[in-house]
Amino acid sequence: MTRFLLILFSAISLTSCVAVKEYDKVYLNDEEMQLAIKGMEQFEVNFQIYREAASGGNGGKTGGGCGCN
Amino acid sequence: MRRIFLGVFCLITFIVSAQDTLSTAYKKRVLEATEIDLLFSHYNQDGIHAAVSGGDGTEELTDVTSSLIVRMPLNEDDVLTVDVGISAYTSASSSDVNPLDGDPNRPVSSYIASSGASRSDVLTHLTPSYQHSSDDRNTIWGVKGYVSSEYDYFSVGFGGSYTRLFNEKNTEVSASAQVFLDTWNPQYPIELRGGFFDDRIMGNGTYSPVFEAFANENRNSYSLSLNFSQILGKRVQGSLFMDLVSQNGLLSTPFQRVYFGDRDDFYIDEFQLADDVERLPDTRVKVPLGGRLNVYVNDLFVVRSYYRFYSDDWGIASHTASLELPVKIGNAFTIYPMYRFYTQTAADYFFEKEVALSTFQFYTSDYDLSAFDAHQYGMGIRYKDIFTSTKVFNYGLKTLDLRLNQYDRSDGLSSFIVTFGASFVAD
Repeated sequence: MTRFLLILFSAISLTSCVAVKEYDKVYLNDEEMQLAIKGMEQFEVNFQIYREAASGGNGGKTGGGCGCN
Repeated sequence: MRRIFLGVFCLITFIVSAQDTLSTAYKKRVLEATEIDLLFSHYNQDGIHAAVSGGDGTEELTDVTSSLIVRMPLNEDDVLTVDVGISAYTSASSSDVNPLDGDPNRPVSSYIASSGASRSDVLTHLTPSYQHSSDDRNTIWGVKGYVSSEYDYFSVGFGGSYTRLFNEKNTEVSASAQVFLDTWNPQYPIELRGGFFDDRIMGNGTYSPVFEAFANENRNSYSLSLNFSQILGKRVQGSLFMDLVSQNGLLSTPFQRVYFGDRDDFYIDEFQLADDVERLPDTRVKVPLGGRLNVYVNDLFVVRSYYRFYSDDWGIASHTASLELPVKIGNAFTIYPMYRFYTQTAADYFFEKEVALSTFQFYTSDYDLSAFDAHQYGMGIRYKDIFTSTKVFNYGLKTLDLRLNQYDRSDGLSSFIVTFGASFVAD
């Protein structure tokens, strides 16, 4: 946990001065560059939640539903 | 003097009103037009460690799911999304809740799915959500609801999220919270239900399991998610995330059998009768954390990477890493090979068949809670119609997606999933 918070703090510190202008975000705005999971991946995330003990983390249901089959 | 003040007040009011009108008139809409996604999936799995038969039996399962997602702009700032879906499945796991209700001419076995009524079920869900963006688009908040129902389980949930963008929209911080209030309609193995009798029972002595039904039939889940996203350059962006999930209530699955090592074994044909069902603690705290890093290498390749570490207070720790490599072929097509690796340690309460003792407080033979590695590999293809020239009624086709994925677990479970999606946008 401490390590994660350190990484988070370092990431914020190191990158807070980076400011890519709107007109320079053509690559970042590409559909493949989105940081969330794609809608199509939701079905795969669902079966992973059912078949694995881990869940949560940037997309996917973290509670609710039994997933018991 | 009064006239001057009145005149200045009217002038200011007019200017502010005019600015509001102007800003409204020229404000770019968050969502330009109504969008519709049609999604379908076909999932098939098999294995030899069915939890319903104490970790020894077929895990055969087929699931067909379809979803309709509609995103509607309510005005320049607000978007309403409705996600409705239905999932129909047939599983050996659910059929073996009552392995005796099938064809009387077939042997009763945990490796032969019964053809009785319990073998299939339908899950329906409805997820409405509402999202509001501020005028400068630097603040976004949303609320979400969730309802799902299947024969033995009902779930209702709600949640909210808040997102703030800084640094010329190069930095994004978001927090969200969700609550799920679920209710079981417990289905116990047929032999553990009151009044069960069958003259085919074989074994030493009399089959008399010490079984007690669960008193609490509710399961509540509370989750808090934090996300930090940062643009790291003109072609690189990443995010870090962390969830905190707390669950309480009936966290065991009522129909998953357990066979004790210190009890005699009883059978009907080849099917071993339960000593008990799994018993798991009534609380669980989960903490997943990790990050994503996406790189736009060039006009041909994009690299999408993901890593997650997970830990919970049942003794499970896991690592997940995935890599997707979208390859753009012209303006219309993208193919994306993908690979995902997953590994987990076993829960403290996991025991293989006949290993747990009846004196233990908690036990399960659900191999989803055992130690294993899993490899998932697949391929996807996307067609993008940038002019939305193909029309269906008043909607233009935006994208077509097809994904194929194979999933292999080190304990022998194997599955294959096909997903297909079509996105349309209103003219």
